[in-house]
Amino acid sequence: MSKKLVLALAALLIVLTACGTPAPTQVMTEAPAEETVGGSLVIYSGRSEALIQPVMDAFNAKFPDVEILLKSGNNSELANALLEERNNPQADLFITTELMTVQSLAQQGTFESYSPLAADQIPNEFIGPDNLWVGLTRRVRVIMYNTELVSEEEAPKSIFDLTDPKWQGQLAAAGSTNGSMQAQIAAMRQLVGEEATESWLTGLIENDATFFGGHTDVRKAVGAGEFKVGLVNHYYYYLQQAEGSPVGIVFPDQEQDQIGLITNATAVGIVKGTDNRATAEAFVDFLLSQEGQQLFAELNYEYPLLAGVALHPDVQSLDGFRLADVNVSQAAKDIDATFALMEKVNLP
Amino acid sequence: MAVFVSIPLLYVFFRAAGGGVEVWTRLLQTRLWSLLANTVALTLAVTAGTSILGVSMAWLTERTDVPARKIFRWLLALPLAIPPYIGAIVHLALLRPRGGYIPQFLEWLLGHPVSTPSPLGFTGAAFMLTLFLYPYVYLLSGAAFRSLHAALDEASHLFGRNNWQTLWGVTLPALRPGLTAGALLVTLDILAEYGTVALLRYETFSSAIFVQLSGRYDRSAAAVLSGILVLIAIIVLWSELRMEGKAQHTQFDSSWRHARPIGLGRWRLPAFLLVSGVCFASLIVPISVLVAWSLQAFSDPELLSSVMQSGSRTILDFTFNSLWSAGLAALLAVTLSLPVALLAKRYPGRLSRVISRLCQTGYALPGVVVALSLVLVINRGLPFLYGTSFVVVIAYVLRHMPQAVRASEAALTQISPSMEEAARGLGRTSTQTLFQVTLPLILPGLLAGGALVFLTSLKELPATLLLRPAGFDTLAVRVWIWAEEGFYMLAAPAALLLVLAAVLPLAFLLKREQIFK
Repeated sequence: MSKKLVLALAALLIVLTACGTPAPTQVMTEAPAEETVGGSLVIYSGRSEALIQPVMDAFNAKFPDVEILLKSGNNSELANALLEERNNPQADLFITTELMTVQSLAQQGTFESYSPLAADQIPNEFIGPDNLWVGLTRRVRVIMYNTELVSEEEAPKSIFDLTDPKWQGQLAAAGSTNGSMQAQIAAMRQLVGEEATESWLTGLIENDATFFGGHTDVRKAVGAGEFKVGLVNHYYYYLQQAEGSPVGIVFPDQEQDQIGLITNATAVGIVKGTDNRATAEAFVDFLLSQEGQQLFAELNYEYPLLAGVALHPDVQSLDGFRLADVNVSQAAKDIDATFALMEKVNLP
Repeated sequence: MAVFVSIPLLYVFFRAAGGGVEVWTRLLQTRLWSLLANTVALTLAVTAGTSILGVSMAWLTERTDVPARKIFRWLLALPLAIPPYIGAIVHLALLRPRGGYIPQFLEWLLGHPVSTPSPLGFTGAAFMLTLFLYPYVYLLSGAAFRSLHAALDEASHLFGRNNWQTLWGVTLPALRPGLTAGALLVTLDILAEYGTVALLRYETFSSAIFVQLSGRYDRSAAAVLSGILVLIAIIVLWSELRMEGKAQHTQFDSSWRHARPIGLGRWRLPAFLLVSGVCFASLIVPISVLVAWSLQAFSDPELLSSVMQSGSRTILDFTFNSLWSAGLAALLAVTLSLPVALLAKRYPGRLSRVISRLCQTGYALPGVVVALSLVLVINRGLPFLYGTSFVVVIAYVLRHMPQAVRASEAALTQISPSMEEAARGLGRTSTQTLFQVTLPLILPGLLAGGALVFLTSLKELPATLLLRPAGFDTLAVRVWIWAEEGFYMLAAPAALLLVLAAVLPLAFLLKREQIFK
């Protein structure tokens, strides 16, 4: 009896395995270069699935023949995977949460060049060298606070205020595994130098700041009153506000002698060796189209890079603010130094 | 076979060696020591906690007359179907300071903030892991208690010992093999644990490895840390080997009688409440919250469509992926464990023991490290396999091989070699003996090993996250992705499906229980 059961189970498994053989084998037997938009599109995304899904769904509505296969995960883990896969590329596109990663990968020959249709409507600084990557949306680093615990006057006006003992144990931020935090530290190294950045980080740690894996945890914790202040990308504030939480926002460091707003951008690159170039190009163009950019602006409260796309009415325009001037390619070259600094201070 | 299983270890040492001195010095300067202390502290606390909890629960349900003990025996084992990180998500949502449901409810009720026990930090992590890992010890101790011969107890009483002295002097020592095996499983689990402790904001060694992997493009530092973790695991395994090797446990087989349950008298009610409390926290609460969240998701059509369909994949796809990858892993693990077990039992000696233990160190490696080693090896060696879901299955096999090996070894132990000798004496060849005599006899034990591998592979998270090809998500991955963004209502149905899928092999195992002897 048991013997028959085992044989039956084994047979079932073999059948299931045969059925379960996934799409990639099918992709390999198709023609190497897709001329038309269709087939399967493999996207690696450092952006969380929730923030990228609406755009993918809209693209699918327009091109129903395309099957989008998404692998979302940690920015640098996926970047690592892409580097490992250089001889055996699996992905067609890589979407990141900031520019340093994409620049670093471009310098290591991971992307193919593509100049999107809307390239002339995007500021030059958001187009990678040799068109190897292109920026999608902009974000700024802000301080959000819980309005029931902190008044507007008390709220910190500079990120350097966060090391003040009055915020002891009351600050939430993302830790060293988070792409946007890494990019901020890299930017600060350029703006104020290695030592000032190091003392700022040490100050945060000594101030008992809590470092989460991602900003969603930060915004929810600040919204619930678990922490008084949080260091986040701007759209997390708006997302939390939309949930009805009592939160306020500070666009920090605006005085003459201060560093200004630290900005960054999400970006996309076409992976070298992609077997579905036409669809990949179509997707990039969609991300930079009026429709795609509007989705980012309206659903995610981000700053679109395409000229002429309106912001969400609640979102404050960047026009009146001083922005920090950061050299992205330099930051990408100094990437090792940034990681070394985070390790030196033992940033969680 | 041993070579195949050593792949992650070789990768780790290869990368660690390639790192150079500066990697080591850099690491030593950082929080390495405090992380090590954290990990050791957590391991000791949870191992002690699960041992105490597991043994006491087993004793209460097997050896005393606590009411409803037959039902409790099942309920106490079921938390094994719940991955600890799901338990952590539920308890966090309930008890997170200031943000959790319970503190908020109490504040609304009483008008001022109330401080409730927090699931965060060391105590929280220790408590949470104890709550979801105690079944390992419970099951193993329960089996030992169940097979205790009445004569032992009676003999002890004849010599004038009372109940307590009997407990300490006779019963508990008989438990030793089961207890050490259970404690070992718990210890190795904690060494490799990442998801739950990350959620509960307690940093262990695995956190450090993860930080290294999420940052630099050079993985030697991660390899060095993993190497240390493996070393600790080897120490643990070696000490278990020493302890197990020395002890001798025999029982009388003829006229075996079930031991008489001990009357608790006035302690019946407190005991009942205690056991109920454990069941409540580890089983009832997580399931109820998951069901509540799922119901909320089903009542909202928008949420429901998000649960059912994510991009180009439906929830059926995820369930299917979970089931077939875990199933194939179980089949492969059991098949591959046979030669190892045969070697260990039929030709005992240092070499076979070493090979057997080598296969089991895979259990202590964090899933991420196993995954990374596979990425490297398969990409270079078998590129056509890379990017398929088979790599995920291979990772499962590598990590969960120890369970299959132990199960096969245990099954083989129960067969006397005289059976095989008789078969050969009657003219059968070795192969025929294997297939016609040995295999049918040990089949139930093998199935149990397979069920265990299936169960743990279903719950596996970190390796799956890293190795999965785009579009291949398992239920465990879905739960994590949704829960990370705080979409608990979307995650709950998937979590419930996962628990449901895990209950089936678990029920099978509970009926059998022979694997742990």
